[in-house]
Amino acid sequence: MGLEEADLISRCQNGDQAAMKEIFDKYHDKIYRVAYGVVRHREEALDIVQEVFIKLFRTIGNFKGKSTFYTYVYRTAMNTAIDHVRKLKKSTSLSFEDDAERYLSDGPEKRPDQVAMDKELEEKVKGALAKLPDDQRAAIIFREVEGLSYQEMAKAMSCSMGTVMSRLHYGRKKLQQLLRGYVKEGGKT
Amino acid sequence: MKESCSSISRLLEKYFDRETTGDEGILVQDHLRQCAACQAQLKSMEELRATLRAPVDEAVQKETFAWVWQKIEREIQDRAKPSWRESIRAWFGLSFPFRRRVWIPAVAAALLIVAIGSPLFFKETPSQTELSIVEYVQSDTNNVMVFESERENVAIIWLFEGAEGDPFS
Amino acid sequence: MMGKRANFVIVAFVLVLAPLFVSTALGQVQTRLRIIEASNVGSGIDPALKDIRNQLGSPLNFTSYKLLRDESLSLALNRPQKIQVHETVSLEITLTKQQKEKAVYQIRIFRKGSEILDTKARLSPGRTLIVGGPEHRQGNIIFAISARF
Repeated sequence: MGLEEADLISRCQNGDQAAMKEIFDKYHDKIYRVAYGVVRHREEALDIVQEVFIKLFRTIGNFKGKSTFYTYVYRTAMNTAIDHVRKLKKSTSLSFEDDAERYLSDGPEKRPDQVAMDKELEEKVKGALAKLPDDQRAAIIFREVEGLSYQEMAKAMSCSMGTVMSRLHYGRKKLQQLLRGYVKEGGKT
Repeated sequence: MKESCSSISRLLEKYFDRETTGDEGILVQDHLRQCAACQAQLKSMEELRATLRAPVDEAVQKETFAWVWQKIEREIQDRAKPSWRESIRAWFGLSFPFRRRVWIPAVAAALLIVAIGSPLFFKETPSQTELSIVEYVQSDTNNVMVFESERENVAIIWLFEGAEGDPFS
Repeated sequence: MMGKRANFVIVAFVLVLAPLFVSTALGQVQTRLRIIEASNVGSGIDPALKDIRNQLGSPLNFTSYKLLRDESLSLALNRPQKIQVHETVSLEITLTKQQKEKAVYQIRIFRKGSEILDTKARLSPGRTLIVGGPEHRQGNIIFAISARF
């Protein structure tokens, strides 16, 4: 951990709000990417971002610097996102499998058929990710969405690099099976 | 000697993730030049990655986070406020042994007062069906409409701004 | 001597303020505020608004509802909170009374700093109040307010 980040964390531990804002600015994108990668839904992802930062600032006094801070951030983000998915599964809240409504975006106007296809694919991806075991899902999101190296992933998931590779391999294999027809699969003769 | 697909398959993923050593990378590249099946597998992994990543990239680009920070800041500030107990303790400069002496009689007295005083301070209004949840509306500048339906659990207050602001037509 | 005096002050303090503490404890209500853009451009309802779909349907006849913001506010009694919706429109919400399963809110809407609406309403569990009308882009802003006890 660099001196600059150590100083930032120390200031946070002393309740310095400006330091907390700096940490927010530095990590909110990464946490949102992990959250959105898991839940594939804007409002839920934003809820997770908020929850993660509140957790981080509440427990920052316990951070002893044994791992790098960003590893700690990633681990907290992923655990919070996965807990969120578990809670949603248990609750009787809104199901998003209904395809009756479309979500409007602020982006450039897409053709309606393209919007419908994108939405259908996203629903399939969300469903497929939900079917993966937590550890494989975490590996897939860290690698495919966030681009972490095997070593960074091993630290964030507290496992060996061999385990990281195994989780990635089985996660990818399962996703390719579940998304057959939506994503091209390589053929081997 | 040409490596078989089965021996290359695990290396293929490492190669895709740019985690191969120099020698491993060369081995995979040599194999890919001659094997359409492994080329297809590589392509398939690229497409899976794009499918997983593209919506996330798009979502991040569209998002502004300033208001998220405001919410977090408010939450942190609320949690940072000392509890009333700590404030009183600090004000009286109480030490731990001293606090123990007053705590039990103070709690007992407070409970007694709450038990006796609550009915006096908090009279329960008799429950009755209240058809209107809106107590009043006021606007010096615009027309306002109130729509309530107990059956449909709907209560709408609508402020009319401009000629096109009528949603009920 | 000092010990006995302080003892008495503490007990008196607690006795006098106990009822207030009870009311203060009741005074923290989690209020959900959703800010929605309603329009007749395009069609569809944001999936996050499914729980209030019925309230957004008839008599409102918009074809499209998009969630702009979803805020969870911790309101203390008689402490207004102001939310800037966009450059010209803001909302001020105050919890004015709270009983066991009822919360009373005063809601004021401002356009360019001037008040355009002042209203007071009671909310019970499961009830959502819809306050709408301020023009926004090609539609109107709707505030959906509900309380969690």
